[in-house]
Amino acid sequence: MRNGQNGATVPTVAFRNVTKRFGEVVAANGLELEIRSGEFLSFLGPSGCGKTTALRMIAGFEQPSEGDVLIDGTRVNELPAYRRPVNMVFQSYALFPHLNVARNVAYGLLQRSPRPPRTEIDRRVAAMLDLVQLRGFENRRIWEMSGGQQQRVALARALINEPKVLLLDEPLAALDRKLRRDMQIELQNLQRRVGITFILVTHDQEEALSMSDRVCIMRDGGIVQQGTPADLYDRPVNRYVADFVGKSNFFAGTVLTARGGGAVIELDGGGTVTAGRTGEGLSLLPGDAVSVAVRPEQIVLARREDALPAGGAATISARVQNRIFLGEHIEYLLRSETLGEFLTLAPRRSELTERPFEAGEAVFAAFSTEAALVLGSE
Amino acid sequence: MAAAAVERGGKGVTALLVGPAATFFLLLLVLPLAVVVLYSFGERAPAGGYAPAFTFENYLNLASRGQAFLNTLMMAPVGTLLCAVVAYPMAYYLAVKASPRWRTLLLVLIIVPFWTSQLLRIYAWLLILGSKGVPAYLEMIGIEGVRLVNTRFAVLVGMVYGYLPLMIFPIYVSLERLDKRLLEASADLGANPARTFWQVTLPVSLPGVATGSLLVFILLMGEFIIPALLGGGKVFFIGNALVDLFLQSRNWPFGAAVAVSMVLVMLASIVAYMRFVLSRGGMRQQPLV
Amino acid sequence: MADDNKPITRKDFIHELLRYRRGSVSRRHFLGVTGLGLATAVLGNAMPGLRPRKAWAAGELGDTLNFTTWPNYFDQANLDQFTKDTGVNINVTVFGSNEEMLAKLQAGGTGWDVFVPTNYTISTYKSLNLIEPLDLSRIPNFIEADHDPRFIGEAKIDGAIYAVPKDWGTTGYVVNTAKVKGEMTTWKEFWDRTRGDLSGLVMVHDYQLTTIGNALKYFGYSFNSIDPKELADAEKLLIECKPHLFAINSDYQPAIRAGDAVMSVAWTGDATQLQRDMPEIAYVLGREGGEIWTDFYAIPKGAPNPAAAYAFIDFMLDPAVNAREVQAHGYPSTDKRTNALVPKEMLENPILYPAQELLSALEFGAAATLTDPLRAEIMARFKSA
Repeated sequence: MRNGQNGATVPTVAFRNVTKRFGEVVAANGLELEIRSGEFLSFLGPSGCGKTTALRMIAGFEQPSEGDVLIDGTRVNELPAYRRPVNMVFQSYALFPHLNVARNVAYGLLQRSPRPPRTEIDRRVAAMLDLVQLRGFENRRIWEMSGGQQQRVALARALINEPKVLLLDEPLAALDRKLRRDMQIELQNLQRRVGITFILVTHDQEEALSMSDRVCIMRDGGIVQQGTPADLYDRPVNRYVADFVGKSNFFAGTVLTARGGGAVIELDGGGTVTAGRTGEGLSLLPGDAVSVAVRPEQIVLARREDALPAGGAATISARVQNRIFLGEHIEYLLRSETLGEFLTLAPRRSELTERPFEAGEAVFAAFSTEAALVLGSE
Repeated sequence: MAAAAVERGGKGVTALLVGPAATFFLLLLVLPLAVVVLYSFGERAPAGGYAPAFTFENYLNLASRGQAFLNTLMMAPVGTLLCAVVAYPMAYYLAVKASPRWRTLLLVLIIVPFWTSQLLRIYAWLLILGSKGVPAYLEMIGIEGVRLVNTRFAVLVGMVYGYLPLMIFPIYVSLERLDKRLLEASADLGANPARTFWQVTLPVSLPGVATGSLLVFILLMGEFIIPALLGGGKVFFIGNALVDLFLQSRNWPFGAAVAVSMVLVMLASIVAYMRFVLSRGGMRQQPLV
Repeated sequence: MADDNKPITRKDFIHELLRYRRGSVSRRHFLGVTGLGLATAVLGNAMPGLRPRKAWAAGELGDTLNFTTWPNYFDQANLDQFTKDTGVNINVTVFGSNEEMLAKLQAGGTGWDVFVPTNYTISTYKSLNLIEPLDLSRIPNFIEADHDPRFIGEAKIDGAIYAVPKDWGTTGYVVNTAKVKGEMTTWKEFWDRTRGDLSGLVMVHDYQLTTIGNALKYFGYSFNSIDPKELADAEKLLIECKPHLFAINSDYQPAIRAGDAVMSVAWTGDATQLQRDMPEIAYVLGREGGEIWTDFYAIPKGAPNPAAAYAFIDFMLDPAVNAREVQAHGYPSTDKRTNALVPKEMLENPILYPAQELLSALEFGAAATLTDPLRAEIMARFKSA
């Protein structure tokens, strides 16, 4: 990870036990977080989880009720937004409707005192529009631009100020799926090129996972888990994270024996599973009620039991309820007598050698010990 | 989509939909206007009224009402401007600063005086500006001989007072609709509150100011009660000239000519004004009304 | 009125505002101050002889009467009495000038039942076919012999009577003697001092007949002149005086009461009423002459409810009713029988009954002034200058 120029490890943004209340509602509850220079960090969570409040406290639109917000090691609780070295890309962009593209982008420079010379402003606006590939659009009106173009104007308007931190509040929510994919890549590339700290707020797990160095999963004003996208996907600390980050099947059961990282679980529906992994911070005792989480893509399907790979954690006989074509994958909804409904995801290339399963067909499913993760039951 | 629906319904439906409005316009706007234009080329009947003729005499005589045209064309814009200057801070307070709990009450309070007759409210100003009103108080602090009533100043006060709500409400609406994130964006980009006001709030709410100004301007151009009462018949508007020509001199043809000229002058001012406002840009996005 | 320049109190403010609202003259105020209101009300109800004679069955006369008159020119108690007796509700509309009344009638569709034209307009109404001869058998309270013929002459055309007299009066000017020094006796002084030491404190009517007429008197011309040269002189004088005027408005009582104006062209009744409240007000008839006039009741052609119109006129001409009217508006009646019931101090008031030598210099308005295009245009030019 990159550090500040002076080599010291002062975080660019830090929350120190930050709580924010709106009347009775606690929007942020004892947040502790350090964001390093040059990092791409996401706050991920459903609406109302406090992610936007956290972002707005960095921008200066909200003041913490308790605790401190620090930028470059300096407490900024009372510093008004217009004095902070951060810039924001707003949800639906908040571009100035009465100004053209060039003047929107130049806005931040024009607020400086002393105001930079005209030629300097023109040069930097042109450079910014180059960066977001909007050269030639200088005199366009905002409402003449498409959603994706507006998004890039908003980016240019924020980045021209060379902020220490760029805040992005659901920046892609208003775009269609295809454009959103493209913009995700563009944003990531941009961040690498400009080397500015990006803080993204989103409710879209795919967006957070695909772009960020680090993701904070939030719930009810608190951070549930933070880590790299792979950490969160592979090692969720609880069902909430496992469910929020990717899809997961949960099978309820009781601990029979626990040993090392793994455990043998007796499933409520019948049969046992040998789970190879346990959620972080969870210590298991026999008799504990738990959930066994298995990712759909970890479950293998076969028409004959002997066609399944050996050494699985469990073998389940089930019937195909439904088949969903997803392009590169096929998702099956299955139903077993003992475990109820669960999902699997199979790559389509297997179709080339084997015809896909039909609804109503009886199949056998299996997953490896390593694929089974024991989590708390709630 | 609406157009498509009409298309499907066929021409009969279109006629049915447009018919009432078209009839309304034809009977109540176009026809009377045509009559006025026709009259304007006629002659005054011996005992007053209209006698058919074809003469440009009435138009050639317009110069005799030059002062009234001049008064109207000077005072209506000035009154509109003053109205906007006074209304804006009030609308701003209502839309931005006032707590929502009080806002409705305050809005109602602005309208309440207008439930009483305009005449009575103007009379009240006659007393306030009359010698036992403001001048008497000025005298108490040693400023003597101030006369306010029957001056241009009094007429302006009356005009601003009389039309203030028409200015406040459109501005209020445009400020109330103003996306608060634009203000945050401006602050985020380094503009302090004062600069944000001048660079964002004011320009974005200009359509409201334009709407209010247009409403007030049009009504002020036709105003005659306020100059008659607070101007004491000395500050004379086109409206007063028209009232005189129709109700006193009974010179309908000349009155018609003055009316036609007033409509033309008003249209020209409105077109000029709209051009100016539109050229300032940013106005097309939000509808003017 | 020693405290003339003191700021208006809140109570006075409301009072003055209501005065405006009713029209410049406060009828109730007037009656309240004089005590006449109470007296006439008591008398009217107590003495059967003063009650109108005829009784009407409900609905016989329809239910509404549209009465068009001048502001504060009637006693509301009389109108209420008529409604009580007949079941006819009266809608009152007030006008500011004869020209305005004529303009409305010319435009047509007024729906008026009774209106109050001034003497010099009647021949024009007749020639424009806007009024018809009255059926005097339906107005028994009008006894021609009881009226001075010089007041009612113009209502009689070719032997037919087109209107019956309401009251008469003069047009002079009121002066606030507490503020205007020196005796005023002529129109020449009126106009000269308007341009001189009284600049900004004088009012004239928004009415061509009196404003142009009295400007003509400055030069010694006839009040009724339509001679273009003479009118040109009058226009020059008016335009010269315009910047010095306080206002051009027939509603001059409020400004005089407030002290905003100290002199104004005025009619008899307004002068009477002003003097009741402000003893320092004097009423001057210019020695050069000026206007004397009579107002009449008339029924427009096509009146929607002529039966009620006749009943109403007859009611108003009942001497007892008419005497109450005189005390309310302060204009003298032309009717001997009415005058017999008017208090003596009113009959001796020189405002109502000026000295004979002043009266004899006055002229009745001439019909030609009503329709003369030049007078109308001069008035309009004067106002728009």
